[in-house]
Amino acid sequence: MDPLVYLLDFIVFIGIFSILSLSLNLEFGFAGLANFGKVAFVLVGAYSYYILSEIGVPFYLCLILCALSSAIVGFLVSLPTLKLREDYLAIVVLSFGEILKLIVKSEGWIAGGVWGTPVSPAITIDGVSSRVDALVNIGLVYFCLSICLIMAHFLMNSPYGRVIRAIREDEIAAEALGKNRARYRAQIFALGSAMAGLGGGLYAQYIQFIDPYMFVPMLTFTVWIMVLVGGPGNNWGAILGAGLVTFFDRGANIAKDYLTLPIDPSNLQYIIYGVLIILVLLYRPQGLVKESHVKTKALDRVSHERTTVEIRRS
Amino acid sequence: MKEPLLRLEEVSKHFGGLYAVNRVNLDINSGGIWGLVGPNGSGKSTLFKTILGLHKADEGSIFFGNRSIANLVPHQIYALGLVNTFQVPRLFHTLSVLDNMMVAGRGHQGDSLINSLFFRKNWQKQEVELADRAMEILELLEIDNLVGSPAGELSGGQRKLLEIGKGLMASPTLLFLDEPAAGVNPKLGRKIFEKIGDLCRKGLCCFIIEHRLELLFDFAHWVYVMDKGQIIIKGTPEEVVKNPSFYQVYLGD
Repeated sequence: MDPLVYLLDFIVFIGIFSILSLSLNLEFGFAGLANFGKVAFVLVGAYSYYILSEIGVPFYLCLILCALSSAIVGFLVSLPTLKLREDYLAIVVLSFGEILKLIVKSEGWIAGGVWGTPVSPAITIDGVSSRVDALVNIGLVYFCLSICLIMAHFLMNSPYGRVIRAIREDEIAAEALGKNRARYRAQIFALGSAMAGLGGGLYAQYIQFIDPYMFVPMLTFTVWIMVLVGGPGNNWGAILGAGLVTFFDRGANIAKDYLTLPIDPSNLQYIIYGVLIILVLLYRPQGLVKESHVKTKALDRVSHERTTVEIRRS
Repeated sequence: MKEPLLRLEEVSKHFGGLYAVNRVNLDINSGGIWGLVGPNGSGKSTLFKTILGLHKADEGSIFFGNRSIANLVPHQIYALGLVNTFQVPRLFHTLSVLDNMMVAGRGHQGDSLINSLFFRKNWQKQEVELADRAMEILELLEIDNLVGSPAGELSGGQRKLLEIGKGLMASPTLLFLDEPAAGVNPKLGRKIFEKIGDLCRKGLCCFIIEHRLELLFDFAHWVYVMDKGQIIIKGTPEEVVKNPSFYQVYLGD
Protein backbone atom coordinates (compact mmCIF):
# COMPACT_ATOMS: atom_id res chain seq x y z
CA MET A 1 0.00 0.00 0.00
CA ASP A 2 1.06 3.53 -0.75
CA PRO A 3 2.92 4.90 2.34
CA LEU A 4 1.48 8.39 1.83
CA VAL A 5 -2.03 6.96 2.05
CA TYR A 6 -1.01 5.39 5.35
CA LEU A 7 -0.04 8.80 6.62
CA LEU A 8 -3.22 10.46 5.37
CA ASP A 9 -5.29 7.63 6.83
CA PHE A 10 -3.49 8.19 10.13
CA ILE A 11 -4.40 11.89 10.03
CA VAL A 12 -8.07 11.11 9.33
CA PHE A 13 -8.15 8.74 12.30
CA ILE A 14 -6.59 11.32 14.60
CA GLY A 15 -9.35 13.72 13.56
CA ILE A 16 -12.18 11.25 14.17
CA PHE A 17 -10.77 10.09 17.49
CA SER A 18 -10.13 13.68 18.54
CA ILE A 19 -13.86 14.35 18.15
CA LEU A 20 -14.61 11.30 20.31
CA SER A 21 -12.08 12.21 22.97
CA LEU A 22 -13.32 15.83 22.99
CA SER A 23 -16.79 14.50 23.65
CA LEU A 24 -15.64 12.24 26.49
CA ASN A 25 -13.54 15.08 27.85
CA LEU A 26 -16.65 17.24 27.97
CA GLU A 27 -18.49 14.57 29.93
CA PHE A 28 -15.73 13.16 32.10
CA GLY A 29 -13.03 15.81 32.13
CA PHE A 30 -15.28 18.79 32.78
CA ALA A 31 -18.51 17.39 34.17
CA GLY A 32 -17.15 14.29 35.91
CA LEU A 33 -19.63 11.95 34.24
CA ALA A 34 -18.01 8.53 33.78
CA ASN A 35 -19.42 7.55 30.42
CA PHE A 36 -18.29 3.97 29.90
CA GLY A 37 -20.74 3.59 27.05
CA LYS A 38 -19.22 6.05 24.57
CA VAL A 39 -19.33 3.33 21.91
CA ALA A 40 -23.14 3.24 22.11
CA PHE A 41 -23.38 6.81 20.87
CA VAL A 42 -20.76 6.23 18.18
CA LEU A 43 -22.88 3.29 17.07
CA VAL A 44 -26.04 5.40 16.98
CA GLY A 45 -24.19 7.95 14.84
CA ALA A 46 -22.76 5.36 12.47
CA TYR A 47 -26.02 3.49 11.96
CA SER A 48 -28.01 6.74 11.61
CA TYR A 49 -25.57 7.80 8.93
CA TYR A 50 -26.08 4.54 7.07
CA ILE A 51 -29.88 4.64 7.30
CA LEU A 52 -30.11 8.30 6.31
CA SER A 53 -27.68 8.02 3.41
CA GLU A 54 -29.62 5.00 2.12
CA ILE A 55 -32.79 7.06 1.81
CA GLY A 56 -30.89 9.72 -0.07
CA VAL A 57 -30.34 12.47 2.47
CA PRO A 58 -27.37 14.69 1.48
CA PHE A 59 -24.23 13.99 3.53
CA TYR A 60 -24.10 17.27 5.48
CA LEU A 61 -27.69 16.76 6.63
CA CYS A 62 -26.80 13.15 7.47
CA LEU A 63 -23.98 14.29 9.72
CA ILE A 64 -26.14 16.90 11.45
CA LEU A 65 -28.88 14.32 11.99
CA CYS A 66 -26.32 11.78 13.27
CA ALA A 67 -25.37 14.26 15.96
CA LEU A 68 -29.00 15.06 16.68
CA SER A 69 -30.19 11.46 16.94
CA SER A 70 -27.27 10.57 19.16
CA ALA A 71 -28.00 13.60 21.35
CA ILE A 72 -31.60 12.51 21.75
CA VAL A 73 -30.55 8.96 22.65
CA GLY A 74 -27.97 10.39 25.05
CA PHE A 75 -30.56 12.60 26.69
CA LEU A 76 -32.99 9.71 27.12
CA VAL A 77 -30.32 7.44 28.59
CA SER A 78 -29.22 10.21 30.93
CA LEU A 79 -32.68 10.72 32.43
CA PRO A 80 -32.81 7.64 34.67
CA THR A 81 -29.07 7.53 35.34
CA LEU A 82 -27.97 11.05 36.19
CA LYS A 83 -29.30 10.93 39.70
CA LEU A 84 -27.31 7.76 40.33
CA ARG A 85 -23.83 7.80 41.74
CA GLU A 86 -20.97 7.98 39.26
CA ASP A 87 -20.15 4.25 39.31
CA TYR A 88 -23.76 3.27 38.65
CA LEU A 89 -23.94 5.64 35.71
CA ALA A 90 -20.83 3.95 34.33
CA ILE A 91 -22.37 0.48 34.60
CA VAL A 92 -25.69 1.54 33.10
CA VAL A 93 -24.19 3.16 30.00
CA LEU A 94 -21.71 0.31 29.58
CA SER A 95 -24.53 -2.20 29.40
CA PHE A 96 -26.57 0.16 27.23
CA GLY A 97 -23.77 -0.02 24.65
CA GLU A 98 -23.82 -3.82 24.72
CA ILE A 99 -27.61 -3.88 24.38
CA LEU A 100 -27.49 -1.60 21.35
CA LYS A 101 -24.78 -3.77 19.79
CA LEU A 102 -26.90 -6.88 20.32
CA ILE A 103 -29.92 -5.18 18.78
CA VAL A 104 -28.16 -4.21 15.55
CA LYS A 105 -26.52 -7.65 15.49
CA SER A 106 -29.73 -9.64 15.71
CA GLU A 107 -32.04 -7.32 13.79
CA GLY A 108 -30.77 -8.03 10.30
CA TRP A 109 -33.24 -5.69 8.63
CA ILE A 110 -31.63 -2.61 10.18
CA ALA A 111 -28.22 -2.87 8.58
CA GLY A 112 -27.34 -6.40 7.61
CA GLY A 113 -27.09 -7.78 11.14
CA VAL A 114 -23.90 -9.71 11.86
CA TRP A 115 -22.75 -9.41 8.25
CA GLY A 116 -22.60 -5.67 8.36
CA THR A 117 -23.29 -3.45 5.43
CA PRO A 118 -21.38 -1.17 3.07
CA VAL A 119 -21.85 2.56 3.62
CA SER A 120 -21.54 5.11 0.86
CA PRO A 121 -18.86 7.75 1.40
CA ALA A 122 -19.91 11.33 2.06
CA ILE A 123 -18.14 12.89 -0.89
CA THR A 124 -17.41 10.83 -3.99
CA ILE A 125 -15.38 12.30 -6.81
CA ASP A 126 -15.09 10.07 -9.85
CA GLY A 127 -11.74 8.98 -11.13
CA VAL A 128 -9.47 10.30 -8.39
CA SER A 129 -6.76 8.41 -6.57
CA SER A 130 -7.11 7.16 -3.02
CA ARG A 131 -4.72 9.97 -1.97
CA VAL A 132 -7.19 12.63 -3.05
CA ASP A 133 -9.99 10.70 -1.43
CA ALA A 134 -8.12 10.71 1.85
CA LEU A 135 -7.42 14.44 1.48
CA VAL A 136 -11.13 15.15 0.97
CA ASN A 137 -11.87 13.17 4.12
CA ILE A 138 -9.23 15.08 6.03
CA GLY A 139 -10.96 18.31 5.03
CA LEU A 140 -14.37 17.04 6.12
CA VAL A 141 -13.20 15.50 9.40
CA TYR A 142 -11.09 18.47 10.45
CA PHE A 143 -13.88 20.89 9.60
CA CYS A 144 -16.17 18.96 11.99
CA LEU A 145 -13.38 18.72 14.56
CA SER A 146 -12.83 22.47 14.54
CA ILE A 147 -16.55 23.09 15.10
CA CYS A 148 -16.49 20.70 18.08
CA LEU A 149 -13.29 22.22 19.44
CA ILE A 150 -14.51 25.80 19.14
CA MET A 151 -17.77 24.86 20.81
CA ALA A 152 -16.06 22.99 23.65
CA HIS A 153 -13.54 25.78 24.13
CA PHE A 154 -16.06 28.61 24.32
CA LEU A 155 -18.50 26.64 26.41
CA MET A 156 -15.95 25.59 28.99
CA ASN A 157 -14.52 29.09 29.26
CA SER A 158 -17.86 30.64 30.06
CA PRO A 159 -20.02 30.89 33.17
CA TYR A 160 -21.68 27.68 32.02
CA GLY A 161 -18.37 25.84 31.98
CA ARG A 162 -17.64 27.21 35.43
CA VAL A 163 -20.89 25.78 36.76
CA ILE A 164 -20.19 22.44 35.07
CA ARG A 165 -16.77 22.25 36.70
CA ALA A 166 -18.26 23.29 40.04
CA ILE A 167 -20.78 20.45 39.84
CA ARG A 168 -17.91 18.06 39.15
CA GLU A 169 -16.08 19.30 42.25
CA ASP A 170 -18.99 19.22 44.68
CA GLU A 171 -22.50 18.61 43.42
CA ILE A 172 -24.18 19.26 46.78
CA ALA A 173 -22.49 22.63 47.16
CA ALA A 174 -23.38 23.56 43.58
CA GLU A 175 -26.99 22.54 44.16
CA ALA A 176 -27.04 24.66 47.33
CA LEU A 177 -25.93 27.60 45.17
CA GLY A 178 -28.98 27.23 42.97
CA LYS A 179 -27.58 25.07 40.19
CA ASN A 180 -29.94 22.38 38.98
CA ARG A 181 -27.37 19.63 38.61
CA ALA A 182 -29.68 17.13 36.90
CA ARG A 183 -30.39 19.64 34.13
CA TYR A 184 -26.75 20.62 33.66
CA ARG A 185 -25.69 17.00 33.51
CA ALA A 186 -28.40 16.04 31.04
CA GLN A 187 -27.31 18.91 28.77
CA ILE A 188 -23.65 17.91 28.90
CA PHE A 189 -24.54 14.28 28.32
CA ALA A 190 -26.62 15.20 25.28
CA LEU A 191 -23.89 17.46 23.94
CA GLY A 192 -21.19 14.82 24.44
CA SER A 193 -23.38 12.24 22.77
CA ALA A 194 -23.98 14.57 19.83
CA MET A 195 -20.24 14.85 19.27
CA ALA A 196 -19.84 11.09 19.59
CA GLY A 197 -22.65 10.61 17.05
CA LEU A 198 -20.95 12.99 14.64
CA GLY A 199 -17.73 11.04 15.10
CA GLY A 200 -19.62 7.80 14.44
CA GLY A 201 -21.10 9.16 11.22
CA LEU A 202 -17.71 10.33 9.99
CA TYR A 203 -16.20 6.97 10.90
CA ALA A 204 -18.88 5.00 9.04
CA GLN A 205 -18.57 7.01 5.83
CA TYR A 206 -14.75 6.90 5.94
CA ILE A 207 -14.45 3.13 6.53
CA GLN A 208 -17.39 2.71 4.12
CA PHE A 209 -18.55 -0.31 6.06
CA ILE A 210 -20.22 -0.96 9.39
CA ASP A 211 -20.82 -4.12 11.36
CA PRO A 212 -21.68 -4.64 15.04
CA TYR A 213 -18.19 -5.93 15.89
CA MET A 214 -16.67 -2.53 15.23
CA PHE A 215 -18.56 -1.19 18.23
CA VAL A 216 -17.08 -3.20 21.08
CA PRO A 217 -16.33 -1.77 24.54
CA MET A 218 -12.65 -1.64 23.61
CA LEU A 219 -13.46 1.42 21.50
CA THR A 220 -14.85 3.14 24.60
CA PHE A 221 -11.72 2.32 26.56
CA THR A 222 -9.47 3.52 23.76
CA VAL A 223 -11.19 6.90 23.99
CA TRP A 224 -10.83 6.78 27.78
CA ILE A 225 -7.09 6.20 27.46
CA MET A 226 -6.89 9.22 25.15
CA VAL A 227 -8.60 11.48 27.68
CA LEU A 228 -6.74 10.15 30.73
CA VAL A 229 -3.35 10.39 29.06
CA GLY A 230 -3.96 13.73 27.38
CA GLY A 231 -5.38 15.44 30.44
CA PRO A 232 -9.00 15.42 31.59
CA GLY A 233 -10.42 18.92 31.64
CA ASN A 234 -8.27 20.25 28.82
CA ASN A 235 -9.47 20.18 25.22
CA TRP A 236 -5.97 20.34 23.77
CA GLY A 237 -4.98 17.50 26.06
CA ALA A 238 -7.84 15.41 24.69
CA ILE A 239 -6.60 16.02 21.14
CA LEU A 240 -3.00 15.27 22.12
CA GLY A 241 -4.16 12.03 23.75
CA ALA A 242 -6.10 11.11 20.62
CA GLY A 243 -2.97 11.74 18.55
CA LEU A 244 -0.72 9.64 20.78
CA VAL A 245 -3.04 6.67 21.08
CA THR A 246 -3.87 6.70 17.36
CA PHE A 247 -0.16 6.82 16.67
CA PHE A 248 0.37 3.59 18.62
CA ASP A 249 -2.72 2.01 17.10
CA ARG A 250 -1.95 2.85 13.48
CA GLY A 251 1.77 2.45 14.07
CA ALA A 252 1.19 -1.12 15.10
CA ASN A 253 -0.71 -1.77 11.86
CA ILE A 254 2.05 -0.22 9.77
CA ALA A 255 4.71 -2.18 11.65
CA LYS A 256 2.72 -5.33 11.02
CA ASP A 257 2.66 -4.69 7.28
CA TYR A 258 6.24 -3.54 6.78
CA LEU A 259 8.33 -5.28 9.44
CA THR A 260 8.83 -8.91 10.26
CA LEU A 261 8.61 -9.10 14.03
CA PRO A 262 8.59 -12.19 16.24
CA ILE A 263 5.39 -10.97 17.90
CA ASP A 264 2.25 -9.42 16.50
CA PRO A 265 2.57 -5.63 17.03
CA SER A 266 -1.19 -5.19 17.31
CA ASN A 267 -1.07 -7.28 20.48
CA LEU A 268 1.91 -5.31 21.66
CA GLN A 269 -0.10 -2.10 21.48
CA TYR A 270 -2.39 -3.25 24.30
CA ILE A 271 0.67 -3.71 26.48
CA ILE A 272 1.81 -0.22 25.50
CA TYR A 273 -1.62 1.19 26.39
CA GLY A 274 -1.46 -0.50 29.79
CA VAL A 275 2.02 0.76 30.56
CA LEU A 276 1.14 4.24 29.30
CA ILE A 277 -1.92 4.53 31.51
CA ILE A 278 -0.09 3.24 34.61
CA LEU A 279 2.80 5.63 34.07
CA VAL A 280 0.55 8.63 33.51
CA LEU A 281 -1.70 7.88 36.49
CA LEU A 282 1.32 7.33 38.74
CA TYR A 283 3.51 10.22 37.74
CA ARG A 284 1.16 12.73 36.18
CA PRO A 285 -2.40 12.03 37.33
CA GLN A 286 -3.63 15.32 35.87
CA GLY A 287 -2.63 14.08 32.38
CA LEU A 288 -0.01 15.44 30.02
CA VAL A 289 -1.74 18.80 29.69
CA LYS A 290 -3.13 20.32 32.89
CA GLU A 291 -6.61 21.77 33.24
CA SER A 292 -6.50 25.53 32.85
CA HIS A 293 -8.46 28.24 34.61
CA VAL A 294 -11.88 29.28 33.37
CA LYS A 295 -10.96 32.13 31.06
CA THR A 296 -13.65 34.77 31.06
CA LYS A 297 -13.69 38.52 31.32
CA ALA A 298 -13.90 38.16 35.10
CA LEU A 299 -10.34 36.85 35.18
CA ASP A 300 -9.00 39.71 33.00
CA ARG A 301 -10.88 42.18 35.12
CA VAL A 302 -9.45 40.93 38.37
CA SER A 303 -5.88 40.50 37.13
CA HIS A 304 -6.06 44.02 35.70
CA GLU A 305 -7.33 45.36 39.01
CA ARG A 306 -4.64 43.54 40.90
CA THR A 307 -1.87 45.04 38.82
CA THR A 308 -3.27 48.55 39.25
CA VAL A 309 -3.56 48.02 43.00
CA GLU A 310 0.02 46.80 43.13
CA ILE A 311 1.21 49.81 41.16
CA ARG A 312 -0.63 52.13 43.49
CA ARG A 313 0.89 50.45 46.51
CA SER A 314 4.47 50.56 45.27
CA MET B 1 -48.08 42.13 63.73
CA LYS B 2 -45.37 41.79 61.10
CA GLU B 3 -45.39 38.64 59.01
CA PRO B 4 -42.33 36.48 59.85
CA LEU B 5 -39.77 35.90 57.10
CA LEU B 6 -39.28 32.26 58.04
CA ARG B 7 -41.61 30.19 60.14
CA LEU B 8 -41.18 26.61 61.31
CA GLU B 9 -44.15 24.74 62.68
CA GLU B 10 -43.63 21.47 64.53
CA VAL B 11 -40.70 20.46 62.33
CA SER B 12 -39.18 17.06 63.04
CA LYS B 13 -36.34 15.15 61.45
CA HIS B 14 -35.32 11.73 62.64
CA PHE B 15 -32.62 9.34 61.58
CA GLY B 16 -33.90 5.90 62.48
CA GLY B 17 -35.03 6.21 66.06
CA LEU B 18 -33.02 9.32 66.81
CA TYR B 19 -34.95 12.56 66.75
CA ALA B 20 -32.25 15.01 65.64
CA VAL B 21 -34.87 17.74 65.37
CA ASN B 22 -37.98 17.28 67.45
CA ARG B 23 -41.11 19.41 66.95
CA VAL B 24 -39.33 22.69 66.51
CA ASN B 25 -41.27 25.94 66.25
CA LEU B 26 -39.46 29.12 65.46
CA ASP B 27 -39.89 32.44 63.69
CA ILE B 28 -37.31 34.59 61.99
CA ASN B 29 -38.41 38.13 61.22
CA SER B 30 -36.66 40.20 58.61
CA GLY B 31 -33.46 42.02 59.43
CA GLY B 32 -30.73 41.48 61.95
CA ILE B 33 -28.77 38.58 63.32
CA TRP B 34 -30.58 35.60 64.79
CA GLY B 35 -28.54 33.18 66.83
CA LEU B 36 -28.87 29.46 67.39
CA VAL B 37 -26.78 27.88 70.12
CA GLY B 38 -26.72 24.55 71.88
CA PRO B 39 -24.42 21.71 72.88
CA ASN B 40 -22.81 19.52 70.23
CA GLY B 41 -25.25 17.07 68.75
CA SER B 42 -28.27 19.08 69.79
CA GLY B 43 -29.53 19.23 66.19
CA LYS B 44 -28.56 22.76 65.15
CA SER B 45 -26.90 21.84 61.87
CA THR B 46 -29.59 19.28 61.11
CA LEU B 47 -32.19 21.98 61.62
CA PHE B 48 -30.36 24.21 59.12
CA LYS B 49 -30.10 21.41 56.61
CA THR B 50 -33.78 20.59 57.03
CA ILE B 51 -34.81 24.18 56.37
CA LEU B 52 -32.57 24.35 53.30
CA GLY B 53 -33.82 21.16 51.70
CA LEU B 54 -30.64 19.14 52.16
CA HIS B 55 -32.65 16.92 54.48
CA LYS B 56 -36.34 16.42 54.00
CA ALA B 57 -38.42 17.20 57.08
CA ASP B 58 -40.28 14.13 58.36
CA GLU B 59 -43.04 16.18 59.93
CA GLY B 60 -44.13 19.77 60.20
CA SER B 61 -44.20 22.70 57.83
CA ILE B 62 -41.71 25.36 56.88
CA PHE B 63 -42.87 28.67 55.44
CA PHE B 64 -40.79 31.35 53.77
CA GLY B 65 -43.03 34.37 53.52
CA ASN B 66 -46.34 32.74 52.73
CA ARG B 67 -44.85 29.93 50.75
CA SER B 68 -44.37 26.39 52.03
CA ILE B 69 -40.81 25.31 51.27
CA ALA B 70 -40.75 21.94 53.02
CA ASN B 71 -40.93 20.03 49.74
CA LEU B 72 -38.55 22.10 47.65
CA VAL B 73 -35.10 20.94 46.56
CA PRO B 74 -32.00 23.01 47.47
CA HIS B 75 -31.68 24.91 44.18
CA GLN B 76 -35.31 26.05 44.38
CA ILE B 77 -34.77 27.21 47.94
CA TYR B 78 -31.70 29.17 46.84
CA ALA B 79 -33.83 30.80 44.16
CA LEU B 80 -36.15 32.15 46.85
CA GLY B 81 -33.24 33.87 48.60
CA LEU B 82 -32.33 31.45 51.37
CA VAL B 83 -28.63 30.78 51.10
CA ASN B 84 -26.66 28.13 52.88
CA THR B 85 -23.05 28.06 53.99
CA PHE B 86 -21.64 24.77 55.14
CA GLN B 87 -20.09 24.20 58.55
CA VAL B 88 -17.23 22.31 56.95
CA PRO B 89 -16.55 24.44 53.85
CA ARG B 90 -17.55 22.76 50.61
CA LEU B 91 -15.51 24.53 47.99
CA PHE B 92 -14.83 23.73 44.37
CA HIS B 93 -11.24 22.69 44.92
CA THR B 94 -9.68 22.94 41.49
CA LEU B 95 -11.48 26.19 40.69
CA SER B 96 -9.85 29.49 41.62
CA VAL B 97 -11.12 31.55 44.54
CA LEU B 98 -12.63 33.98 42.05
CA ASP B 99 -14.47 31.22 40.19
CA ASN B 100 -15.76 29.84 43.46
CA MET B 101 -17.26 33.26 44.12
CA MET B 102 -18.59 33.65 40.59
CA VAL B 103 -20.44 30.32 40.73
CA ALA B 104 -22.35 31.67 43.71
CA GLY B 105 -23.44 34.81 41.80
CA ARG B 106 -27.18 35.12 41.50
CA GLY B 107 -29.09 35.29 38.22
CA HIS B 108 -26.10 35.10 35.91
CA GLN B 109 -27.36 35.00 32.30
CA GLY B 110 -24.27 33.05 31.25
CA ASP B 111 -25.19 30.12 33.46
CA SER B 112 -27.49 28.84 30.72
CA LEU B 113 -26.14 26.68 27.91
CA ILE B 114 -27.67 28.66 25.07
CA ASN B 115 -26.54 32.04 26.41
CA SER B 116 -23.02 30.85 27.11
CA LEU B 117 -22.63 29.42 23.65
CA PHE B 118 -24.49 31.76 21.33
CA PHE B 119 -25.28 35.02 23.12
CA ARG B 120 -21.94 35.84 24.65
CA LYS B 121 -22.57 39.59 24.51
CA ASN B 122 -25.58 39.24 26.82
CA TRP B 123 -23.58 38.33 29.88
CA GLN B 124 -20.15 39.89 29.39
CA LYS B 125 -21.17 43.05 31.25
CA GLN B 126 -22.79 41.05 34.04
CA GLU B 127 -19.66 38.93 34.30
CA VAL B 128 -17.54 42.02 34.94
CA GLU B 129 -20.02 43.41 37.46
CA LEU B 130 -20.09 40.12 39.34
CA ALA B 131 -16.29 39.98 39.31
CA ASP B 132 -16.17 43.45 40.87
CA ARG B 133 -18.67 42.39 43.48
CA ALA B 134 -16.67 39.25 44.20
CA MET B 135 -13.54 41.36 44.67
CA GLU B 136 -15.36 43.68 47.07
CA ILE B 137 -16.46 40.74 49.20
CA LEU B 138 -13.02 39.14 49.09
CA GLU B 139 -11.45 42.43 50.20
CA LEU B 140 -13.96 42.60 53.02
CA LEU B 141 -12.91 39.13 54.14
CA GLU B 142 -9.24 39.95 53.56
CA ILE B 143 -8.58 37.11 51.16
CA ASP B 144 -8.45 39.21 48.00
CA ASN B 145 -4.75 38.44 47.59
CA LEU B 146 -5.68 34.79 46.97
CA VAL B 147 -8.09 35.54 44.14
CA GLY B 148 -6.25 33.43 41.55
CA SER B 149 -5.27 30.46 43.69
CA PRO B 150 -7.17 27.19 43.50
CA ALA B 151 -9.52 26.88 46.46
CA GLY B 152 -7.96 23.52 47.32
CA GLU B 153 -4.71 25.25 48.27
CA LEU B 154 -6.30 27.48 50.90
CA SER B 155 -5.72 26.99 54.62
CA GLY B 156 -8.57 25.93 56.89
CA GLY B 157 -9.39 29.46 58.03
CA GLN B 158 -9.23 30.86 54.51
CA ARG B 159 -11.61 28.15 53.34
CA LYS B 160 -14.02 29.19 56.05
CA LEU B 161 -13.81 32.79 54.87
CA LEU B 162 -14.36 31.80 51.26
CA GLU B 163 -17.40 29.75 52.26
CA ILE B 164 -18.84 32.86 53.93
CA GLY B 165 -17.86 34.88 50.87
CA LYS B 166 -19.83 32.52 48.63
CA GLY B 167 -22.82 32.98 50.91
CA LEU B 168 -22.61 36.77 50.67
CA MET B 169 -22.02 36.63 46.91
CA ALA B 170 -25.36 34.88 46.46
CA SER B 171 -27.23 38.11 47.47
CA PRO B 172 -29.27 36.32 50.13
CA THR B 173 -32.47 37.51 51.75
CA LEU B 174 -31.80 35.15 54.61
CA LEU B 175 -28.27 33.83 55.05
CA PHE B 176 -27.54 30.73 57.09
CA LEU B 177 -24.10 30.70 58.69
CA ASP B 178 -22.93 27.58 60.46
CA GLU B 179 -20.15 28.60 62.88
CA PRO B 180 -18.66 31.43 60.80
CA ALA B 181 -16.05 32.30 63.45
CA ALA B 182 -14.85 28.75 64.12
CA GLY B 183 -11.24 28.22 63.09
CA VAL B 184 -10.73 31.92 62.36
CA ASN B 185 -8.43 34.05 64.51
CA PRO B 186 -10.25 36.06 67.22
CA LYS B 187 -9.61 39.44 65.63
CA LEU B 188 -10.91 38.36 62.23
CA GLY B 189 -13.79 36.50 63.86
CA ARG B 190 -14.99 39.74 65.41
CA LYS B 191 -14.43 41.53 62.15
CA ILE B 192 -16.58 39.02 60.30
CA PHE B 193 -19.37 39.58 62.79
CA GLU B 194 -18.96 43.36 62.47
CA LYS B 195 -19.24 43.11 58.68
CA ILE B 196 -22.25 40.85 58.91
CA GLY B 197 -23.75 43.26 61.43
CA ASP B 198 -23.23 46.14 58.98
CA LEU B 199 -24.89 44.20 56.18
CA CYS B 200 -27.76 43.27 58.47
CA ARG B 201 -28.41 46.90 59.26
CA LYS B 202 -28.82 47.39 55.51
CA GLY B 203 -31.54 44.77 55.37
CA LEU B 204 -29.79 41.40 55.27
CA CYS B 205 -31.08 38.79 57.67
CA CYS B 206 -28.73 36.18 59.13
CA PHE B 207 -29.39 33.02 61.07
CA ILE B 208 -26.16 32.00 62.77
CA ILE B 209 -24.98 28.96 64.68
CA GLU B 210 -21.97 29.90 66.78
CA HIS B 211 -20.22 28.52 69.83
CA ARG B 212 -18.29 31.71 70.49
CA LEU B 213 -20.95 33.32 72.60
CA GLU B 214 -19.01 36.50 73.38
CA LEU B 215 -19.23 37.28 69.68
CA LEU B 216 -22.71 36.06 68.96
CA PHE B 217 -24.28 37.69 72.01
CA ASP B 218 -22.70 41.04 71.14
CA PHE B 219 -24.34 41.08 67.73
CA ALA B 220 -27.44 38.89 67.80
CA HIS B 221 -30.70 40.47 68.85
CA TRP B 222 -32.55 37.19 69.37
CA VAL B 223 -31.22 33.79 70.34
CA TYR B 224 -32.69 30.30 70.24
CA VAL B 225 -31.12 27.64 72.45
CA MET B 226 -31.45 24.04 71.35
CA ASP B 227 -30.97 20.88 73.35
CA LYS B 228 -31.72 17.30 72.30
CA GLY B 229 -33.50 18.41 69.16
CA GLN B 230 -35.79 20.91 70.85
CA ILE B 231 -35.81 24.65 71.33
CA ILE B 232 -35.61 25.07 75.09
CA ILE B 233 -34.99 28.78 75.49
CA LYS B 234 -35.62 31.78 73.29
CA GLY B 235 -35.13 35.46 73.88
CA THR B 236 -32.70 38.33 73.66
CA PRO B 237 -29.09 37.51 74.60
CA GLU B 238 -29.59 39.23 78.00
CA GLU B 239 -32.63 37.10 78.77
CA VAL B 240 -30.89 33.90 77.67
CA VAL B 241 -27.84 34.59 79.80
CA LYS B 242 -30.05 35.07 82.86
CA ASN B 243 -31.84 31.76 82.31
CA PRO B 244 -30.53 29.08 84.69
CA SER B 245 -31.24 26.14 82.38
CA PHE B 246 -28.97 27.75 79.78
CA TYR B 247 -26.06 27.15 82.16
CA GLN B 248 -27.23 23.65 82.85
CA VAL B 249 -27.36 22.45 79.24
CA TYR B 250 -24.71 24.54 77.60
CA LEU B 251 -22.14 26.30 79.72
CA GLY B 252 -21.93 23.97 82.72
CA ASP B 253 -21.51 25.31 86.21
